Amino acid sequence: MPSCTRRAFLTATLAAAAVRSARSEAPPLRFGVTPVMLDDELGFLNRWARWLERQLGRPVVLVQRSRYRELLDLLLRGRLDLGWICGYPYVQHRKELSLIAVPRFQGRPLYHAYLIVAADSDLKTLADLQGRLFAWADPDSNSGYLYPRFLLTTSGKDPDHYFRRTFFTWGHPRSIDAVAEGLADAAAVDGYVWETLARRAPQRTAGTRVILRSPAFGFPPLVASAALPDALRRELRRLFLAQVQDAEGRALLADLNLDTFSIEEETLYDDIARMAARLAQGAVG
Amino acid sequence: MILPASYRLRLPLSLSVSAIATALLMALAVGLQTLANLREDQGRNALSLGHAMAGVMIQALRTDDVWLAYSLLRGPEGGGADSIWIVADANGRIFASNQPRRYRLDQPLREALPWLPEEGDAVLGQPTGRVTPVAQDEVRRLLRLPLAVDDSRVGELVALLSDAPYLPRFREILLGGVLVTVVVLGVLLPLGWLWGRRMVAPLVRLADCMARVGREDPRRMSCAVQVDASEIGQLGQRFSSMLDALAEKAELERQVVQAERLAAVGRVAAGVAHEVNNPLAGMLMAIDTYRGTREPDAQTRQLLDLLDRALQQIQGTISALLVEGRADTRHLRPEDLDDLAILLQPRLVRSQAVMVWRGAIARPLGLPAAPVRQLLLNLLLNATEAARAGGLVRLRLAQGEGELRLHVDNTGEPIPPERLPHVFEPYSPDRPQERGLGLWVCYQIVTQLGGHIRAAVEDGVTSLRVALPLGREGRE
Repeated sequence: MPSCTRRAFLTATLAAAAVRSARSEAPPLRFGVTPVMLDDELGFLNRWARWLERQLGRPVVLVQRSRYRELLDLLLRGRLDLGWICGYPYVQHRKELSLIAVPRFQGRPLYHAYLIVAADSDLKTLADLQGRLFAWADPDSNSGYLYPRFLLTTSGKDPDHYFRRTFFTWGHPRSIDAVAEGLADAAAVDGYVWETLARRAPQRTAGTRVILRSPAFGFPPLVASAALPDALRRELRRLFLAQVQDAEGRALLADLNLDTFSIEEETLYDDIARMAARLAQGAVG
Repeated sequence: MILPASYRLRLPLSLSVSAIATALLMALAVGLQTLANLREDQGRNALSLGHAMAGVMIQALRTDDVWLAYSLLRGPEGGGADSIWIVADANGRIFASNQPRRYRLDQPLREALPWLPEEGDAVLGQPTGRVTPVAQDEVRRLLRLPLAVDDSRVGELVALLSDAPYLPRFREILLGGVLVTVVVLGVLLPLGWLWGRRMVAPLVRLADCMARVGREDPRRMSCAVQVDASEIGQLGQRFSSMLDALAEKAELERQVVQAERLAAVGRVAAGVAHEVNNPLAGMLMAIDTYRGTREPDAQTRQLLDLLDRALQQIQGTISALLVEGRADTRHLRPEDLDDLAILLQPRLVRSQAVMVWRGAIARPLGLPAAPVRQLLLNLLLNATEAARAGGLVRLRLAQGEGELRLHVDNTGEPIPPERLPHVFEPYSPDRPQERGLGLWVCYQIVTQLGGHIRAAVEDGVTSLRVALPLGREGRE
């Protein structure tokens, strides 16, 4: 999921996909992703899209947006058929979106939020972070925004004034870089992203140290727009569930550092919904 | 710098030192010029980079997008760039920098850079930004570019530029210059050394030769000095002339000494001859008178005859010593020379020598006949005696430039060179058996006639050369 500086390349890719779709009889499936999770993965995403295309027998168009909010808007307005979004926006719009599949990471459809500081820093707990520089990932991210704010609120702190200054990086990998390079003293990041980056590019996570692991939350799900026909929705579910049985699909899963996809109940995201509700109260209160 | 005294070393050394100095100064000048150019380029590049980033920076400041500003400043080099870039917001707090650990987010710019000059009209009056030199440890130039939207300040872009990226290049250029210098000098130095030595070589030869003057006889000195149009050549020429003059002077001195010695001997001889001559004449006259007045007996006559002969012999010897220009006014005529040939004939026959006669005189010359006859006779008799059996005697007569030249050669045993200066002295020790007055008499006659005589040996031929100045009659 490349950053916006890759837009030119992306445009070319989309144009190529559009040409391909024009040849096809069936309308293309529009699949939305954001760089909030992983960046610099255009090659991988394209391979995934091509694999889906072959399985579905219809064109797949990858749509990238730099923020969760944009992606969510597109999904809600039916401009996207499928999206990989965070659990936090999902719980806010459960009624308008249908859960297709949930990735399984380290054997479970769950992940953790990590609180990280610079590796050479002497900060050890959340309490040490008061008056420091803090990087949020995205205002619609569970691990990079909702959970740390919930943690502070439940500890009786005002998340808006607890830190000296905060800013958004619009991506978990960038938050990791910001901490490693000293731009921020600490950040809250997606534990799956951190672990995956630690495997793929250990030099990037080497500059950071995890000081806090959150309880397990439901993994960011693949959701479909409400407008997506049931037949296609079922086909997609079947496809993602069976991906692990296909050799190429398995390789793609390995690249994503995921085990497989599974069908989960909506209740998987109740914890996130509770945190969101708590913060909404706090905001109102 | 203390140079050695000799130009032999001084000139090549000077050439080498100037070559080294030139090369090093060139390297330094090129290095410094490059450094100045690089600094200027750095300022210009930074300013254009600042302008290029200004639009996005303004957007980042207005939307509070710290990451956008940071990712732009961080650039592809990450935090490793040599220049420090800082964006401050409208409140003068750091919004982003490419060294986030050192220049913290939200830190007041004035606290991070206490030395930063106050923002006066100098900066605000320059909406296009400016680069000013500053004297900080790491920072040499400061770029300040105000970020504004429609005259309303939203922040400022600051760049701290250092020499760090250029010092290695400067050192590289210097090192390169030094290396090139060493290589070039490796070629130039031996050449310069050889060239210098070659330039100096004639001077050194001249100096060596000059050092010999005074220790050696200038007539025998031969020096290979350079003689051409150059200054050293002119010096060589002058030196050669000086050597010639010295040789001439030495020869003149030698002649003067010889002449004086001979003159002194002549005066002594003449004095003795006069003193002896008078009583001798008296004694001869007394014997004559005695014979005329008395009739002596046989025994007395015999005694008187004996006395007379002995006294005559003494007189003969004395008169030989007493060479004087007699009051003889008769001029030398061609017949005089013929007489000489006839007179010599018996002697030539006896010694089996061959006589060659070259040249003659056509008419009487302005020279007294008697001394010249005696001179020639003496010389020819000497030569005939020296030529020995089968030898050659040659007389060459020549007239010219107001003088008569007589050369008498013989092919006999040559006179050894060391004896040549002494042949005109009476009773020469190398010919003890002779009376030894022949050449001395010749010398006296020539001197009295105002001419000069010298002996020479050339190719085994002994030659006596006489030059006699002609009187008025002979020249006409």
